[in-house]
Amino acid sequence: MAGSAGLRPPSAAPTPPPLGGGSPPFALLATEGGARRLAAVDERARAQGLSAGQKAADAMALVPSLVTFDHDPAADRAALEALCDWCVRFSPAVAIDATDGLFLDITGTDHLWGGEDQMLVDLVARLARWGVPARAAIADTPGAAWAMARYGDDLAIAPPGQQRAAIESLPVAALRLEDAAEAQLPRLGLHRVGQLLALPRAQLAKRFGLATTQRLDHALGVASEALTFRRPATPWCDRLAFFEPISAPEDLARVAGDALALICQRLEAEGRGAKRFEVVFHRLDGKAYPVRAGLARLGRDARRLTKLITPKLDKVDPGFGIEVVTVHAWAVEPLAAAQERFDADADATLDETLAPLIDRLVNRLGENRVWRADPYQSHVPERSVVRNAPLDPPVAAKWDPDRPRPVRLFKRPEAITAIAKLPDDPPMQFTWRGRAHRVRRAEGPERIGQEWWRAGVGETDTGPDKIRDYYRVEDDAGGRFWIYRQGLFGGEDAPKWWIHGVFG
Amino acid sequence: MAGSREARLAALRGQIAAIQAGTRTPTPVLPFGDAAIDGCFPGGGMPLGGWHEVTGAGLEDETGAATAAFVSLLLRPLVKTGAIVWVARRSDLFAPGLAGFGFPAERLIQVRTRDEAETLSVLEDALSTQGVAAAVGEAEAPDLTAGRRLQLACEKRGGFGVLLHRRPYGGARKAAVSGSAAFSRWRIGPSPTPPPPDDIGLGPPRWRVELERCRGGRAGAWILEAQEAGHGPHPFRLVSQLAVHDVAPTQPGLRRVG
Repeated sequence: MAGSAGLRPPSAAPTPPPLGGGSPPFALLATEGGARRLAAVDERARAQGLSAGQKAADAMALVPSLVTFDHDPAADRAALEALCDWCVRFSPAVAIDATDGLFLDITGTDHLWGGEDQMLVDLVARLARWGVPARAAIADTPGAAWAMARYGDDLAIAPPGQQRAAIESLPVAALRLEDAAEAQLPRLGLHRVGQLLALPRAQLAKRFGLATTQRLDHALGVASEALTFRRPATPWCDRLAFFEPISAPEDLARVAGDALALICQRLEAEGRGAKRFEVVFHRLDGKAYPVRAGLARLGRDARRLTKLITPKLDKVDPGFGIEVVTVHAWAVEPLAAAQERFDADADATLDETLAPLIDRLVNRLGENRVWRADPYQSHVPERSVVRNAPLDPPVAAKWDPDRPRPVRLFKRPEAITAIAKLPDDPPMQFTWRGRAHRVRRAEGPERIGQEWWRAGVGETDTGPDKIRDYYRVEDDAGGRFWIYRQGLFGGEDAPKWWIHGVFG
Repeated sequence: MAGSREARLAALRGQIAAIQAGTRTPTPVLPFGDAAIDGCFPGGGMPLGGWHEVTGAGLEDETGAATAAFVSLLLRPLVKTGAIVWVARRSDLFAPGLAGFGFPAERLIQVRTRDEAETLSVLEDALSTQGVAAAVGEAEAPDLTAGRRLQLACEKRGGFGVLLHRRPYGGARKAAVSGSAAFSRWRIGPSPTPPPPDDIGLGPPRWRVELERCRGGRAGAWILEAQEAGHGPHPFRLVSQLAVHDVAPTQPGLRRVG
């Protein structure tokens, strides 16, 4: 079952004019091919005969009191996304529809409001309270809900299986047809959806394209329509609603713990664990503050999760109060039940004790700041290491023990000046950071070329002047350095010397 | 009378030792496998429930390469008991290089922090976690409070802490904090190696290792060579002992009172 909310006009203006009686008509302007045109108009402007697509100059001549503002599609989109996120309080599955609509899959959530009609009224009333004029409808299919929300009665509900009757009397534009078909149909006297339904399918498809019959099927529920939900639909979500809005920090921590306990109980009952948890605090004024916690291993320990979440609660601004908390679990996978030990430390495995530490560090510092360096099959030194999560299963690859590598590898090789015998002897002396090093012993060269087979490595990157000849050299004091010569003698450019790392 | 005096002194010493140790049981140690080095420590090796300062000599202060190599070798025997956490602000530690010293990189967890305070707090957190055999932090000199906190974290689970003093590139050296809660303090620098037997390439690396300070023990300086993982349990081979003129503790001058 899908509910659709059509929003109009787009609430783009940063300072939307009040909707009180005395305010002037309002329109958004967009520049199209050098001409300023109206992109959207409000009810008052429409009543004065203005419409979207009109030239701005004409509109101003018709309605001198017209207040205009630049159309900002990006802000429109952002506002719609914010609204989409807010709608999560009604259902976890919310999809954005074009530029001014939302689809909510309310299957199984309407009972929380005491029925579909009350849910619909609550949704529209809340939107209206924040100055978002909206229309909404509920039907079995997104197509029918869309048609009813935009062309039918406001707050209409099609009983299960009755979408045919609900959309029969609506104009054909309610079917979301292609522009050409939509323009053609009225010319042939087909104004109502019911008229289309009476026609034979084959001719309809032949004359107006397959998309037309497909749209009909979508609306009637014969074919299912795929919606792109803003967040992947998950059954792993729960919500806590409060009688009175809460705002005290300790209350926030407690309800976060309660919400997490709720979902962890369900996870345990079904023998599953999750890696990512998200607690979203919904404020009275519709703002939502998500707080996330990640685990290195699958888990469902509410107490540990609460400890990870609690330090991040200071980012939540309760404002006038939090009325709803939703909690989501992502990356849910089967997790076998474990026997609770009597003795906490006795034979705890490495992973069980390490995992909480990794979780603490990752949640405090960020995911990319805690890693385990694993071998990667590449000759190029800077690419031979790949960063994995510390508790991931070990990789099979190994670094070649016959190719010594430095303990410290510089992110960017540093240029040095070196004196070396031609054509490919190690240097006898080099200067690095203003200090001269006399080379006592050396080993090499180890020739490393660019990986020409990789995407993004152009022809200019693989020529002879890009070849690196690496030497391990030891200076007078015993310091060992990894230096290389880029390019070959006798080429167009003189080869350059670089230092890439320091051995211990 | 003299006998009873001796006995009373011995009893008092025992009481003091008991107070100092608290309720701790004697911690296991990490021996070097050579009497010349192990003799410098009161327990016959570096104790596990404590932390140790490692500084670099000369250029190593900036690059931190010899110190990192020394520490990774030092920790090699500990790896089988748990993970190693390496905390630093810079991410130039190169795991293949450590693997070359026989250090299993799959047990190494690297953490990159934003500032020095974060480094110390992560180090403290890691040291007090069961399952972490040792934790290494790269920082400049911590103050006494931070050092004391590290010590308490080490004692919790018998963790082995190492603080690598590292100066930012081109940065000025911070004024050294007088006194430290560290158990021992080392200064590591590279040492020239002799030509290998077949005179090709480079032999195993050597370090000039100075034990500058050791609580309850004495200072020392040696030339150590890396020993391959297959050659016995100890990661270092003693090449020669150095005289410790420069690091011998200075005798406090006699002061006249009154």
